[in-house]
Amino acid sequence: MLSSVERALDDGARLAWIFADRIDGATLLHYIVDNGEMRDITAHADGVVPTMAVRAASADWYEREISERFSVAFAGVLERRPLTREVPAEQLIRHQSPEVSTVLYGPVRSGIVESARWIVETAGEDFIDVYPSMFFKHRGLEERFVGTPLDLAPFVAEHVSGVTASSHVSAFCRAVECAMGITVPERARAARAVLVELERIHQHLDSLAKLADDGSLSVGAAATFAAKERIHRLLCDATGNRFARGTICIGGTRFDALGRLHDVCARDLDAAERHARAAIDGLAATQSLLDRLIGTGRLPKTTVEALGGVGPVARGSGVSCDVRTRDGYLFTPLRGEEALERNGDAVSRALVRIAEIQRSFQLVRNALDANPQGDHLARYDLVDGEAIARVESPPGELLYFVRIANGEIARVAIRSASYANWPLFVPSLPGNIFTDFSFIEHSFGASQAEVDR
Amino acid sequence: MSWITLGLRGGILTTRYPAKPDEMPGSYRGAFAGTDASAEDQERGAASCLSGAIVPGTCRATVDVTRCFQCGQCARTAPQAFRASPAFELAIAQDPIDSVRDRLRARARAFGRSVHLRHVDAGSDGSEEQELSAIFNPFYDANRLGIFLTATPRHADILVVTGVVTKPMRAPLLRTYEAMPEPKTVIALGTSACSGGIFAESNAVVGPVSSVLPVDVLIPGAPPSPLSILHGLWVALDRAPLQGASA
Repeated sequence: MLSSVERALDDGARLAWIFADRIDGATLLHYIVDNGEMRDITAHADGVVPTMAVRAASADWYEREISERFSVAFAGVLERRPLTREVPAEQLIRHQSPEVSTVLYGPVRSGIVESARWIVETAGEDFIDVYPSMFFKHRGLEERFVGTPLDLAPFVAEHVSGVTASSHVSAFCRAVECAMGITVPERARAARAVLVELERIHQHLDSLAKLADDGSLSVGAAATFAAKERIHRLLCDATGNRFARGTICIGGTRFDALGRLHDVCARDLDAAERHARAAIDGLAATQSLLDRLIGTGRLPKTTVEALGGVGPVARGSGVSCDVRTRDGYLFTPLRGEEALERNGDAVSRALVRIAEIQRSFQLVRNALDANPQGDHLARYDLVDGEAIARVESPPGELLYFVRIANGEIARVAIRSASYANWPLFVPSLPGNIFTDFSFIEHSFGASQAEVDR
Repeated sequence: MSWITLGLRGGILTTRYPAKPDEMPGSYRGAFAGTDASAEDQERGAASCLSGAIVPGTCRATVDVTRCFQCGQCARTAPQAFRASPAFELAIAQDPIDSVRDRLRARARAFGRSVHLRHVDAGSDGSEEQELSAIFNPFYDANRLGIFLTATPRHADILVVTGVVTKPMRAPLLRTYEAMPEPKTVIALGTSACSGGIFAESNAVVGPVSSVLPVDVLIPGAPPSPLSILHGLWVALDRAPLQGASA
C-alpha cells in the first residue's frame, strides 16, 4: 500500500497528514494525500516502515509523533531528536561551536503567551538555527474523546483550541456526520458557516493586533483589539459564550443559533465591520509597521509546498489552499479568487488576513441573507463507521478523523493547521535578527494548544 | 484617517466596573444552579455533565462552579432542575484567606495601589490567554485600576496560572513561583486551572493548579470573561465583596 502513497507523492500530491490507529492490537497507518481530491491510503505497520520524509518533508513531524506515541519504527528517518517526548534540553541542542550560542526561549516566556520552547542557535543577532521543542501542553485530548457519549463529545472538541472552538467542533461533528451518514439541515449549516467566519475575523484581528503591538503601535493595537472585542460581544449575545462554545453539536446546532445570530447581527454587525475596517485600514497605511514586516520571515513558495503549509501562511507565499473554495464546504463555498499574496513575508501574511477579514464579513452576510428555514437539528441513529472531515479554521486547514465502533467513539485524530505550519517557522528565520522573532511568530497566527493537544 | 482621529472618534468605551456595576448580556451562560426538582431530573442533568460538576441532593442538585465549564447541557437536558444565569462574579477566595492578602494589600498601598501580574500557561486551551489579554483592551483597561503586566517574576505580586497543569509544565510553573518575591498571591484562571475540568482524569496532567501551588483565588469559566477576571483580581486584592465564598 505504501507504494501507492509513494506514487501519489511522486506525481506531485501533497502529503496532508499521517496518523495511526490501533485496532485489535494492530497498528494501522493512514496516509492522507491530496492532489485536488483527498485520499486516505492505509497500511499496516508491520515491522519497520520506510519513511516518507525523503519524498515529502511534511512527513517528519507525523512520523516522529507516531513513533513516540505508537512505538512504530520508521527506517531512514532524517531527524532523530524526539518531538513530543520530554527530554533534557541538552539532548536537543545541535550546534556546539564557540561562535554559536544557544538560547532556550521558553516554555515560560514574557507577556501573556502560550507555553512553547524554542531552542535558538545564534551568533549574536543572527539566527543560525531554531529547534521547536514543544508539547509542554499535551493534555491527552485525542484520548479524552474515546468513550465519551456522542452528545457530549463536541464539548471535548471545543477544548482542543478554545480560540477556534467553532472550527474544531465543526470539523469533529462533520467527521461524525460523514461516518454515520447524517444529513445536517441547511439552517444549521448556515449557522456553522457564520460562526466559523466570525471566528476567523476575531482571530485574524488578534494576529494583526499582536503585530501592531510588536511594532510599538499602541493606538493601532488598541483599536484592533477593540474591534476583536466587538466580535466576542456579538457572539456572546447570540450564543451565550464569547467564543460561541456550546452551540454546535452532532446533527446541527443545540439551539436555533441562526435565528439568534440573525437578530444580533442585524443590530451589531455593521458597527463591528466599520470598526474592524478602520483599524485594519489604519494598520495597512502605517509605514513604520509595514517597514518591520516587509521582507521579514520570508518563505519561498517551494518551501511552503515541500513542508505542507496551510492557511494564510501558505497563501502569503502564493500557495492556493483554501478549503472554503472546495465544493461541499460548510455552507456556500467561497466564490471567486481566494486571497493570495506572492512575497511570502510577514507583510504578505498580514495582507492575506486583511483581505480575508473583509471576505469573512461578506460570507457572514451571505449566509444570514440566505436564511434557510426549517429545523436546526437532525435526529440520528448510532451506526459504526469512520470518516475524515476538514474545515478552513483561522490558521488554515483543520483535519479530524473519527472512528466509531460498537456505538462508541473509538479513535479521534486531529491535524491542526498550527501543527502543519510550525515546521515552516524554522526556515523562515535565517537571515532575520532576534528582534524579528515576535513579528514572525505573530505573522503565523498559530495556537499552541491545538499543536500539543 | 490618523490614529489620533480614530482614537478620538471612538469616544470612551471603557467600563466603570468595579466602581460601578456592569453586566454580561442576558443570554450569557455564566453560572448554573439547581432548582427544586425530582431526583430523576437531577440525575439526568448530572449524567449530562462532562466534568462531574453536579451532585444531586434531596431537593435540588448543587453545581460546583469550579468544575463547571459553562456548556449549559444540564439546563438543556433537565430544564426543570437547572437554571442558567448571566452572573459573571464567580471568583472564590480559598480558605484560609490568610495574612498573605493583608500583606499584599499593604504592599499595594505602599506602591501607589498598583499590582503587577505574571502569567504562566500550565496547559490551557488558549482562550484564557486571549481573555486575560482582553482586560487591557479599551473596553476594560485594567491599567486604570493599577493592574499591570510584568515580564519578570521578580517584579510580580500576583501569579496568574491558566490551564490544567500538564506533566511537563509542573517544573517550569514551580520555578516561576519560586522566583517571585514574598508575599506571593496565586490566581487559578479558568475552570481547567481551578479543578482540572474535563481533564481531571487525564494521564497527561498533574491536576489543577492547587495540586502544585497554594492557590489564593479561583476564577472559574471556560474561559472566564474579562469582567469575571477583573472581579477575580479585585477579590485577590481584597477589594471586592466575596461571592459564594465558603463561610
